[in-house]
Amino acid sequence: MKFSFTQAARYTALVLLVLAGAVLLVAGGVRYLPARGEMPAEVRHLPVYAAWSFLRMLIAYFFALAFSIPYGFLAATNKRAEKVLLPLLDILQSVPVLGFFPAAVFFFVSLTHGSRLGVEMASIFLIFTSQAWNIAFGCYEALTTIPQDSFDALASQGVHGWQRFRILYLPACVPKLVYNSILSWAGGWYFLIACEIISIGPTEAALPGLGSFLKRAAAEGRVGLTLTGIAVLIAIVVAMHLFIWRPLESWSEKFRYEFAASTVAPSRLLVFYRELRLVAYIGRTARRLAAYVARQKIRLFPPRQVIADLEALPPLWRRIVGRTIGILASACALYILVRAGMALVVVLRPPWPHQAWMIPAALGASFLRLLVAYILALAWTIPVAVWAGNRPRAMRIVGPFAQIASSVPATSLFPLIVMFAIHHRGGTNIAAVLLVLTGMQWYILFNLLAGVHAIPGDLKEATRSLGLTGWRAFKTLTLPAMLPSLITGSITGWGGGWNALILSEYLPYAGKVYSVLGIGTLLQEATVPPGNQAMMVLSLVAMVVVILLLNRFFWRRMYNWAADLYKIEY
Amino acid sequence: MPAIIELEHITKIYPRPEGESQILADVSLEVMDGEVLAVVGPSGCGKSTLLRIIHGLIPPSAGVVRFAGRAQDGINLSCGMVFQSFALLPWLTVEQNVMVGLEARGLDDETCRKRAMKYIDKVGLDGNEEAYPRELSGGMKQRVGLARALAVEPKVLLMDEPFSALDALTSINLREELIDLWGDPALPVDTIVIVTHLIEEAVELADRIVVLASNPGRIVESIKVELPRPRERKSPEFSALVDRVFSLIV
Ligand SMILES: Nc1ncnc2c1ncn2[C@@H]1O[C@H](COP(=O)(O)OP(=O)(O)O)[C@@H](O)[C@H]1O
Ligand SMILES: [Mg+2]
Repeated sequence: MKFSFTQAARYTALVLLVLAGAVLLVAGGVRYLPARGEMPAEVRHLPVYAAWSFLRMLIAYFFALAFSIPYGFLAATNKRAEKVLLPLLDILQSVPVLGFFPAAVFFFVSLTHGSRLGVEMASIFLIFTSQAWNIAFGCYEALTTIPQDSFDALASQGVHGWQRFRILYLPACVPKLVYNSILSWAGGWYFLIACEIISIGPTEAALPGLGSFLKRAAAEGRVGLTLTGIAVLIAIVVAMHLFIWRPLESWSEKFRYEFAASTVAPSRLLVFYRELRLVAYIGRTARRLAAYVARQKIRLFPPRQVIADLEALPPLWRRIVGRTIGILASACALYILVRAGMALVVVLRPPWPHQAWMIPAALGASFLRLLVAYILALAWTIPVAVWAGNRPRAMRIVGPFAQIASSVPATSLFPLIVMFAIHHRGGTNIAAVLLVLTGMQWYILFNLLAGVHAIPGDLKEATRSLGLTGWRAFKTLTLPAMLPSLITGSITGWGGGWNALILSEYLPYAGKVYSVLGIGTLLQEATVPPGNQAMMVLSLVAMVVVILLLNRFFWRRMYNWAADLYKIEY
Repeated sequence: MPAIIELEHITKIYPRPEGESQILADVSLEVMDGEVLAVVGPSGCGKSTLLRIIHGLIPPSAGVVRFAGRAQDGINLSCGMVFQSFALLPWLTVEQNVMVGLEARGLDDETCRKRAMKYIDKVGLDGNEEAYPRELSGGMKQRVGLARALAVEPKVLLMDEPFSALDALTSINLREELIDLWGDPALPVDTIVIVTHLIEEAVELADRIVVLASNPGRIVESIKVELPRPRERKSPEFSALVDRVFSLIV
C-alpha cells in the first residue's frame, strides 16, 4: 500500500491533536496546583473529586500496563531473567507496599521541589503499586501456559520476533490482562484512601479526590458524608463494570484457548459497541497506525538485520560487549545497595527508640489478627466458592458482585464500625480484624472460584456417577482439586491482609485516634509529624522479614506440596 | 531417487531430575525425494521428537541432519508441519492462520491473501475464510492446519499424528485427500514424513514404513510397501502387511 500525502497529513494532524491534548492536561494540572492544604469535604465538590481520582487511577493503570506486559514477557520468555524477576515479583506482591509510601513520596516530592505535580506523581505511583504486580503475574501466567504446539507451529512457519509477539504473545495475554485489570482496579480503589493524603515530614498534603474526601470525612466523624462518598465510588465502579469491563471480558473470550475454562457471559453492549461506527473507525485507525509504525520501524531499523549484524560480530567482541554491560549493571546495582545500606546504618544507629522493644509483641498481635481474619475468610469463602463454582449462573452473579465489593475502601467504613464497637471492650480490636478481613477475603474468594470452576467436567461427572455426594464429593474431589488455588489465594490474601493491616490498626475518627497494639500502629505512629525515621525503618524491616520468612518456609512449601499432589494433568 | 533428508547417528538426551533419559539412540535414516515415509511405534518412543529434529525445531544431542546434502542448523523452512492438536491460533481467522507463514516471509498483503485463498481452496474450505477455528469441526480444523503448512510451498511435509484426533470417517477422507494433494503436480510438496501410531494408516499411506522401538527410541526395521494405489484396505496383502508391522511393534 502506498502512503499518500493526504493520509500523511491526517496522521500528522492526529498526532498533533494527541500531543496538544497531553500538553493541555499537564498544563491544566499544574495550574490547578495551589490547592494544597485544606481540601473541603463537601458534597458539591464530589463530582470534581471523583473525576480527579478516576484520572489518577487511569494514568496509574496505563503505567501499570506499560510495566507489566514487558515484565511478564521477559519473565516468561527468558530463563535467566525469570530467575530474578519472578521471586522479585513475589516479594513485591507480598510486601506491604503501603509501608514504603513515605520513602516513595519523599522521592517524588523532592524530585519536583515540593510542587503539586510531585505530590500527584507520588500518589499515582502509590496507586500504580497496588495495580501493577497482579497484572504482571497474569501476563507471566498466560504466556507460560501457551501450548508448546503453538510455538512449534509458528517456528515451523518461520515466524519470529515482532510478528510472533504480535500474533502469539500479545493475544494470548488478553484474557488474563482483562481479568487481572479488573482486580487491579478494585485494589486501586481500595487503597485510594491511602494514596491521596500524603505526609511529607511535618506537613500533610491532600490531593483533591475521592480518597482524601473519604479519609477526611472519616477523620471528622461525618457519617453522612462518608456514605455519600462511598455511594459515588460504588456508582463509578458499577458503571465501569457495566460499560467497560463486561464488554471487554466478553471480547477477550476470542483470545482464549479452547481448553481454558471460561465463565464469561456474552455482553449485549459489546454487540452494540461493535455496531457503532465510531468504535469501528477507532479500531481500524489504530490498526492502520500500528501497521504503519511497524513498517516505518522496519525500514529505519531493520531488526533482523541488526540481530544478524550482532551475531556476525566476532565472538571476542561479543564477549567484550556482553561483559562490559554486565559489569556496568553490577556496578550500578552495587552502588545503589551500598548507598541504601549506608543510609540504613545511619538511621538505625543505636540507641534505638524505646518503642523498638515493642516490635516483637506488636508483630505477634498483628499476626494473630491476620490469623483470625484468615479463618473468618476461609469460613465463608470456601462454601461460597464450592456452591457457586459448580453453577455457571451463580458464578456470573457472585463474580461481578465480589469484584464490586472488593473495590470499596473498607477503611472508610470505619466510622460505622466504630459507632458500634466503641462502647464494647476490645471494640477497636474487632474493628481492626474486620478491616483486615476486607483486605484479605476477596483474593481468596477469586482464586477459589477460579479453582473450583476449572475442575474438569469429566471428573465432576465421574464423582457423581460413583454415587458420591455432599461431604464425600467435597472430600474426594473438590477439596483436593481446589487446594492449589486455595494456597495461591491464601498467599495473595495474606499479602493484601498485611497491606490492609497498616490502615486497620490505627484509625483517626472524629478528632480522636483509635489504635491497638500492632505493627501497623507502630508504622503509622512513626509517620505522625514530626516523624520517627528509625522506628519507621525498624518496623518495616521487621515486618518484611516476618512476611518473607512466612512465605519462604510456609506458603512456598505448602504450595509445592499441594501442586505436586493434587495437580490435575491432562 | 536421491535422499532429500539424511539423519546420521541422531541421539537425543533430556536431563531429568533422576538422571538423564535417552529418548533417541543412534537413529540413522534417509528420506528419499518424492516418497511418503511413515514412522510408526508405540506411544512415547520418540516419534514426535524425531520429527521435530528433522524440522530443526529442536536440536539433536548428537548426530547430523542433512537436507539436500547440506548439514542443517536451525529451523528448515523448506518443511511444513501439521500437528495432532492442529495448533491453530484461536484468535485468528482461517485466512489469517494460513497467512501467518507468508507474512513471515515478507510477502506483500496482496500476494499473501491470494496464496492463502488458493490453499484454502485446495483443502476444500472455500467460504470459510472468515471463520474462527472454534467454529470449525475437528476435520475442518485439520484442513486449515494442512492449508497453512502447504501455503508456504514446502518441499517436505512433516505430519505428527495428523489424523489421530479425528473420528474414523473424517480421517479416512482426509487420508485420501492427502494422497491426492501429494500426487497433484501443481503443488511443490512431493515428500511426506508422517508419524503415526496407527499401523493401518501407515500401510495405507506410505511407500516405506520405519518401525521404532522405545526406551531408547531406535529403528528396528524399515519396510517397503509395494501395494498399488489406491490401496484396498480389505485386501489380504494389506492385512498381511499390517500384521507384519504389528508383530514388529509388540
Ligand atoms: N522437552 C522434553 N523434556 C523431557 N522429556 C521429553 C521432552 N519432550 C519429550 N520428552 C519425552 O520423550 C519421550 C518421547 O516423546 P515423544 O517424542 O513425544 O514420543 P511419541 O511422539 O513417540 O509419543 C517421552 O517419554 C517424553 O516424556
Ligand atoms: Mg507424539
